[in-house]
Amino acid sequence: MNIDQKNTETTTGGRVRVLLAKPTHDCHDRGVRLVARKFRDAGFEVIFFNFLLPQEIVNTAVEESVHVIGISVSSGGHMPIFEDAIAGLKDVGMDGVMLIGGGIIPPKDEATLKEWGVRAIFGPGTTADDAIAMIEETFIGEAAV
Amino acid sequence: MFDDSTLSKSKAAAEQQQAGYNKMLERFGDAAPQRATAPKTGSGLPIKNAYFPHDVAHIGHDQIGAPGQFPFTRGNLPAQYQFMNWANQPVIGYGLPEHTRERMDTLSAQGMVGYFGQKFYNLVYDLVSHEGLDPDHPAARGRVGQCGMAVYSKQDMARLFDGMDLRKMNVIHITYYQVVAAFAQYLALADEWGIEHSELRGNTMNWYHQSAYVGMSAFAPESGHKLAVELVNYCGREMPRWNTTNFFCYGIEEAGGTAVQEIGLMLAYGVDFVRACMASGLTADQALLRVGFQVAQANDFFEEICKIRALRRIWATTMRDMFGANDPRSMHVRIHTHTSGACLTSQQPLVNLIRTSLHTLGAALSGVQAMEVSAYDEALGIPTEESATLALRCQQVIQEETNVTAVTDPLAGSYYVEALTDQIAEAALKVLDEVEAQGGYIAAQKSGWIRREVEGSAERWREEVNTGERRIVGMNCYEEGDAQEAEIFEYPDDIEQTAIERVRELRATRDAAKFETAMQAYTDKARAFAKAGHAELGNSGLIEAATDAARADATTGEIMGVLKDALGWSAPHEY
Repeated sequence: MNIDQKNTETTTGGRVRVLLAKPTHDCHDRGVRLVARKFRDAGFEVIFFNFLLPQEIVNTAVEESVHVIGISVSSGGHMPIFEDAIAGLKDVGMDGVMLIGGGIIPPKDEATLKEWGVRAIFGPGTTADDAIAMIEETFIGEAAV
Repeated sequence: MFDDSTLSKSKAAAEQQQAGYNKMLERFGDAAPQRATAPKTGSGLPIKNAYFPHDVAHIGHDQIGAPGQFPFTRGNLPAQYQFMNWANQPVIGYGLPEHTRERMDTLSAQGMVGYFGQKFYNLVYDLVSHEGLDPDHPAARGRVGQCGMAVYSKQDMARLFDGMDLRKMNVIHITYYQVVAAFAQYLALADEWGIEHSELRGNTMNWYHQSAYVGMSAFAPESGHKLAVELVNYCGREMPRWNTTNFFCYGIEEAGGTAVQEIGLMLAYGVDFVRACMASGLTADQALLRVGFQVAQANDFFEEICKIRALRRIWATTMRDMFGANDPRSMHVRIHTHTSGACLTSQQPLVNLIRTSLHTLGAALSGVQAMEVSAYDEALGIPTEESATLALRCQQVIQEETNVTAVTDPLAGSYYVEALTDQIAEAALKVLDEVEAQGGYIAAQKSGWIRREVEGSAERWREEVNTGERRIVGMNCYEEGDAQEAEIFEYPDDIEQTAIERVRELRATRDAAKFETAMQAYTDKARAFAKAGHAELGNSGLIEAATDAARADATTGEIMGVLKDALGWSAPHEY
């Protein structure tokens, strides 16, 4: 879709701001980097970074006042990351942010993460377009065309 | 290659075939599939629908040669598998050292074997080690013993190899940037057990070049380059049986790169590597004597085979012509195949057994030296004992039952295989030229060019999957069967807690004075190393000092902490 022909403004003005985060130890970043490109093509402002500690996600989310946080983990160890990030976001009053996940997250962990408030997990078999559609539905008003 | 009469008959035969083919195209009209109208390889190289003698007439016999003869297109040695099968090198590592050891012993008992009956262990360190940390660091939570073994000290090494004779085995240490720490701890263990370093066999990865296309924390490219050169010098001097460096082709393909990029970019790194080694005073033969390659075997069956043949040819030719390499061993491309993980699907996971069997067969037909066959459940987690055993069985079936091991380079002479080998070789040499025009691999890494090129290929691959042009069974076609569920590997409990207790106990009980002295000396060496130019590399004493620290029970986090401070270390988005 040509972004010039569609509305990319959020309902409160400005573009959708998305933070995409990947642990520094996790070399499987082919997927998340592609998602970052696709999000940019969709008109989102994307901040992509690699974190050592989950608190860095929280700090960056505050600094950049993002609407969406996507955490991608493909090497395991995802549960403590989400747990710490969720707690940290609550501490700074950002628990309303849309939190999504991606990578290799086993189904049983996915169920727990959703109980914790993670909106969706985009794993194998999903596309960047699926995530874009969900974000647009939430933050963007009627298409301008 | 052919006389004029054969060539004219070949062309006539091709014209006849093409005329018939064109009639079929007309009949199909718009319904003709793309592979019929515009055939291409997985890398996107244009290919023909049939090959003839004149398609290979431009390839000189000197480009193909004989097995064991320059330029080694047909293999490094006169024999391929007749006297010795390829080595089974499944990647092993999870949990505590004891868990990893259990898997090593299980697979050994199932017949996992190296050259001439020797024990080979291909061991991967965990995510915490890759980050150069200890298990009690806050960032280690949830990552201890994940995707690798929780080995952080000489003491952990002793647990891992308890009761084994290090002289009678070959140990591959799969590290990312923590090469110095893991290597130092292994050497320190050898010292403790009274084994000369020169008696050790195995591999260090020396994979500093992978930060060009793999997103993990790392040393700056120039610093990594210096560490690589230092290790080559050290091992050349002290450990003649040790393989110093592995060229990580596989990571390029896994990051989305094409077959052409995989070998072209690694050739370009090889050129920068030899240049830097020579600046430190080594000859090309010395720099290259003990290097190996990890190469992917992915889905395009013939392209992946031709990629291997092309790599052998362009490597030998480039190293001879650019640097005067002369020793055949220094021109050989010794390959550890890793069947592609990125080709595996989490949908219908058992189907991956079929994919990996084809990858393994392709690698065998290419004449590689060792293999790791991915387990069918690797898109879901690390392999279970059952899936790891099946992956080993895949190698064994092809080794024992198919008789493909009877003949060296069995596909040689196929018009298609020779033409495609040449086509890939020429395309990869263009990649080398492009990198050289930018000032070499390190420069092309720093500008982000390598990353962009590989990422562009990853994006094209994804688009082809999304549009259905590239078909993947279970993912975008034949999707039924999702109900099939694989058992997912479950880590043992208490890995993290035990690892933390062990490292704290070690720090509390080691000889503090001995530790402080060794760490101070090592820190001084690391600081001096940071300032050293390429000409000064090789005798810096860095590895020796790190080994002294490891003897005094320095942990991975401590050894790496010193290097990070001295050389600089940053997250991938910062370089």
